[in-house]
Amino acid sequence: MAFPSQEHQPFAHLSAPNAAFYREILRAFARAKERFIVHLRPEDVAAELRRDNDDALAQALDKLREWGNLRADADTGRVTSVEDFHRKRYLFQLTHAGQAAEQAISFYEDAIGKRGALQSVALGDIAEQLQSLVILARDADPDPARAHLLLLSLSDRFSSLADNAQAFMASLRRAIDFSDGDVAGFIAYKERLIDYINRFIADLANSGARIATLLSELDRFDHDRLLRLAARREAADAVPDEEETAEAYVRAEEAAFASWSNRWRGLRDWFVSTGAGRPSQARLLRQAAITAIKQLIDTVGLLNERRSGRSDRSADFRALARWFAEAPDEAAAHRLWRAAFGLTPSRHLTVTAATLEEWHEVDAGVPWSEAPPIRISPQLRRTGSYERRGKPNKVADRSQARRLLVEQAEREASETAAARAALRTDGPVLLSELNGLDPRAFRLFLGLLGDALAARRPGETEVKTVSADGSMEIRLTLVPHGGKVEIHTEDGVLTGPEHVIEITDLTAGP
Amino acid sequence: MIGDEERVQRRAALRALLARPLLTAERDPEALLLVRRHVTELRDWLARETGWRLMVDSATARLFKTAPDARDATHPARGKAGEPYGRRRYVLFCLALVTLERADAQTTLGRLAEEVLSAAAEPELDFTFTLDTRAERADLVAVVRMLLDWGVLRRVAGDEEAYLSATGDVLYDVRRPVLATLLTGARGPSTISAPSFEERLTELMAEPVADTDDLRNQALRRRLTRKLLEDPVIYLADLDEAERAYLASQRHAIVRRLEEATGLVAEVRAEGIAMVDPEDQLTDVRMPEQYTDGHVTLLVAEQLAVHGELTLEELKAFVRQAAREHTSFWRKGVTEPGAETGLLATALDKLTALRLVRVADGAAVGLPAIARYALAEPVIKGQ
Repeated sequence: MAFPSQEHQPFAHLSAPNAAFYREILRAFARAKERFIVHLRPEDVAAELRRDNDDALAQALDKLREWGNLRADADTGRVTSVEDFHRKRYLFQLTHAGQAAEQAISFYEDAIGKRGALQSVALGDIAEQLQSLVILARDADPDPARAHLLLLSLSDRFSSLADNAQAFMASLRRAIDFSDGDVAGFIAYKERLIDYINRFIADLANSGARIATLLSELDRFDHDRLLRLAARREAADAVPDEEETAEAYVRAEEAAFASWSNRWRGLRDWFVSTGAGRPSQARLLRQAAITAIKQLIDTVGLLNERRSGRSDRSADFRALARWFAEAPDEAAAHRLWRAAFGLTPSRHLTVTAATLEEWHEVDAGVPWSEAPPIRISPQLRRTGSYERRGKPNKVADRSQARRLLVEQAEREASETAAARAALRTDGPVLLSELNGLDPRAFRLFLGLLGDALAARRPGETEVKTVSADGSMEIRLTLVPHGGKVEIHTEDGVLTGPEHVIEITDLTAGP
Repeated sequence: MIGDEERVQRRAALRALLARPLLTAERDPEALLLVRRHVTELRDWLARETGWRLMVDSATARLFKTAPDARDATHPARGKAGEPYGRRRYVLFCLALVTLERADAQTTLGRLAEEVLSAAAEPELDFTFTLDTRAERADLVAVVRMLLDWGVLRRVAGDEEAYLSATGDVLYDVRRPVLATLLTGARGPSTISAPSFEERLTELMAEPVADTDDLRNQALRRRLTRKLLEDPVIYLADLDEAERAYLASQRHAIVRRLEEATGLVAEVRAEGIAMVDPEDQLTDVRMPEQYTDGHVTLLVAEQLAVHGELTLEELKAFVRQAAREHTSFWRKGVTEPGAETGLLATALDKLTALRLVRVADGAAVGLPAIARYALAEPVIKGQ
């Protein structure tokens, strides 16, 4: 970056005493230049500024020439009066530095004056241009001029969008404080926010997704190729002279390519989130909008509370703090707590189902002392606990338990085998002959009987089935006119129609 | 006619609100979902039967309960271990709220502590708080934990233990919408200028006086409904003339509506009414209850059911005796001299809270409902 030399101070007039006048003069030159007029005589400047061509203007022009904003060339044109002839006559024009300063200042003023408006149109344009780029990228041999133009307009559109978004984010983030009840300011803000959300955020959600898709598509088609084309053209522009070495050309191309890659990355970061840690700009914008809405709602609530004349909450809490501090005793404090905050749970007695049953017999008018009392588990009454508590096992020595389990399993297996043996009938017997079974054998028998009866279809008189565990087979035949029989066991008496029954132990050897 | 499923859900939602009048999405997601699903019916029912406001949004549900009885001191705020709040914690709680009311969207425990300190130093507040001792810091942390529990604060980073040992700080989100729902009184305390504590409390709970018969009856019905919803036993002797008369004529209707809406069962007796919960859920004080304190409470209740009135000395002797008999089942140290005082105090607190006992002038008097805990001949089934 070449620094302007000492005699060039194109920004000096900004801090000069009558800066406004200097600005006017320079703006006049800038406007003239827009009309492609290069030289201005002092009287032209005066006419432009609608003022007299006096000494003040002459001095100002001279000063600007001194700072290097203007260049003065001797004016050799005809004059029409004696004074003019005697006066030094010059033609003024903006110097290169003055021109640059002018541009910088106007750029600065634009940026400062920007209202952070968001153009939703820009989003559509960006999507369109990306779409064209995708089509171009599919080409084996894309047209460099088209690629370059598309990239240029894309970058232009995008940078204005980004600038505006930035300005808008800043204005949203400005902490809004309407505590002084500035309703007008609040309403204006609300209008802007809602407008913004209507126009932009909705579009951002839709176009943003489309743009993100297009970008990833372009990644597949090697967008670097397109960037390279654009960089090449720019390098050709930047190095127009034939004498320049190829090396300079390569350098220029690399610089241009780096700059394009950088812009491209910016575009990507804007629309494509890379993981949770790096949300895209578009997402951040949406979040900012949501936060702003929340704040807005809070503020509405505050304004409402003020308007409805509710007492000020923090004064309420302060008053309560004082009351608690002055409460005569702890009990009083508890009463105040319940009355002021109402956060205490309801409290009710309980009743057991059995007692509830008994109460149904009780008339509503009896005194408590005559109604049945609550049935409380004797265990709880005796020990204060529902579950039996033995000595806690300190060491987890499981060998004994395992041995017990093994013994238990063996015992059960042998008992079952014994029961099966007891049940095994040598050929068919009558049900009534099964009296005197021990409880275990009888339970096994009941299970078998259940299996057999479940397998019997309606109307059948005979059934043969295998028990659910496959260890026994049972054949059951109804005895016609057999009447009812009773089987007496330790558990009770089983009654049922007389059957012929045959039980085979399938696990026993033949 | 509503379906069974509907009724079950609506009862569960109402019970959740009665047990926790401020529900938040973080802490009670299922309950909040139920309340939101039935919000219209609940709001209508509560407005009609109790006059209580129900406010529901996507993150919170708040039932603005009012205390049905200004005399009842058995509903303290409680700390983590169930210990009732003392004066200092109550004041700190209010000062923390004053501070949060002015805070931004986030704050830290350290910042909160500083601001509470400066709020405590205000001249009109007769309250000393310096944060110098660990006990004072612990009180502040207890208050903050309650704010976390109610959802006024949301912890973002750090933990309170680190602050207690002065090695770190904690970052919180401040949730203004919840903060705005904490107060339930009909009037803002700052608008009350009465000088004495009792007058202040009366004004805070004052309801507008009805001026037509219809409105008077409505107010009576709501008052009674609130009492029945909130308190374990309502004795006729504690009601005023108008309430007794109204209850005598309308008891059936009130009780039926309550049973339908909450699933509680009315235990109607000559001396009063208790709405009891067969599921033993809707309460903060349980009886009967397991383990030492529950067992002592049960045994003391039985004694009072038999004798009607006992001096505290007699009761202490009884608890000492019981501790010796049950030493194998109770926690350690119950037989040491003086232990009975604490055991008895806990038991009497529970019984007082459940309106079964009144303690006065060195004696405990069983109230009529204590008879529920008289010994009955146990019936052993299956013999």
